[in-house]
Amino acid sequence: MKKTKNNDVIDIRNENTKVFLQRGKLGSVLDKVDKLFDFNWVFIILVTMLSMGTVLGTFLYVTYGVGAMNEIFVVKMLDDGLDKGEWSAAIGFAAGFLIARVLEAPLVGILDIGGSIMTGVGIGVPAVFLSQEKLTFVITNPGMAILIGAALGIAIGLGIYLIRLSSPKEGLNLGTEIMMGAGNQTGAFLGPLVLIAAAIYNPIAGIGAGIGGLLFFFLKKPIVGGAILGSMLLGIIPAYV
Amino acid sequence: MLYVYAIIIGVLVGFSIGAGAALMFKAPSKQGLGAFRTLGEINGSEGDPISHFGFGLGFFITSAAAAAGTGALTQDVQHRIIPNWAAALVSLGNKKAPDKQIMIKSPIRMGIAGAIVGVVIIPILIGIPQLIPEKISVIAKGILGSAANWLFKYVMPVLFLLAALSASKFVGLWSIGLAVIFQFTSGNSLPGIILGIILGSIQQEKGYKSRHFILMLLIVVTLWILIAYFRGLFTTNVDKWLAFKT
Repeated sequence: MKKTKNNDVIDIRNENTKVFLQRGKLGSVLDKVDKLFDFNWVFIILVTMLSMGTVLGTFLYVTYGVGAMNEIFVVKMLDDGLDKGEWSAAIGFAAGFLIARVLEAPLVGILDIGGSIMTGVGIGVPAVFLSQEKLTFVITNPGMAILIGAALGIAIGLGIYLIRLSSPKEGLNLGTEIMMGAGNQTGAFLGPLVLIAAAIYNPIAGIGAGIGGLLFFFLKKPIVGGAILGSMLLGIIPAYV
Repeated sequence: MLYVYAIIIGVLVGFSIGAGAALMFKAPSKQGLGAFRTLGEINGSEGDPISHFGFGLGFFITSAAAAAGTGALTQDVQHRIIPNWAAALVSLGNKKAPDKQIMIKSPIRMGIAGAIVGVVIIPILIGIPQLIPEKISVIAKGILGSAANWLFKYVMPVLFLLAALSASKFVGLWSIGLAVIFQFTSGNSLPGIILGIILGSIQQEKGYKSRHFILMLLIVVTLWILIAYFRGLFTTNVDKWLAFKT
């Protein structure tokens, strides 16, 4: 065990490891920069960068139709808003996850980016702005999107930083395991549903999805990828016949 | 311009995910950024560059397929591809290292590697829909659109509610109640079920008189009022509520 000035245990690096890491000039420079990451406020910068990137991705999706950093079914909620003006599902779903994840993060030491940043910041908050006609410019303008992302990231990072500073580690069960369990099961449903949807769309796409799904099944990969690719490859045939 | 944005996203997201993944090894004394499953999966490959790369590659293919079909890059980009490919990059030269994961535990190395991975893969993923013919993306949207619609309209609420019911009495109580209320206010019961799971869990742990529970209840009520207001629930005619549909 190696102790720093602040008495934090930083790593279990033995002497060999230290020599290994510091070989060369670059290695020793990087090692010095690594010490910066021992400060807790660095976390705020990381969350801010991530939020900026994620909101910019949502801007790309709204403008160019590609780039949202989330699962297909979560982005579908954003689509419902863009197409039909139904924003409440996206806002409510994302808000629930965002609140739970941010409150949970200081206790367990890992901020779950799936629920907090990708869903909460990337889908929920943009949905709030897009739902009000006067505020849509916040997401449809890249500069504003980055600024909003930065503001959200600083708010979340600072919030978690302050909770960690102030509160003693009292455990608060927010039911995240229940949500995680159900969320993971949801992913498994997408493959079979794509198979069925492809066969409804047209029989040839269905056969393609079946072949692709089988291939991925034997390769021991989730069948959804194969089903999508197969249905796209064979489904195009009727368009040219 | 599209690719300029993609590169900016790649740098921002890649660096933060990479460095955050390295910090996860020091949780809970340091605040990490990622997910427990990501940490588990990185540990699963044990610092072997080829397994890290192979693990990411499988998800890269699914992500590319999803991006081509719907424009959604999937959560796997941030949860799996960037952390694992960054880990593969940094552990390339560590055959002689006493601890195979030593490089993965270094935030700045992982951050730089993550930024490199991000700069390469985000433009590729974003460029894929531009490359494929429009007819294919019409088909993909048609198929994936309805699959995702069923998923989020029926499968997710059912799965989340079943999970809530099997968790405990309080969680089930709040989830059922809020599911019904949110179905007619927000058009989907899922937000209600999720808030119900959070509320029920807090009540079970702290009791309904605790400040945590009261605060959360206030948040839920505020959220509900806002949604109800913006969806025009308060201005709906009473006749519509009592309408008998045949």
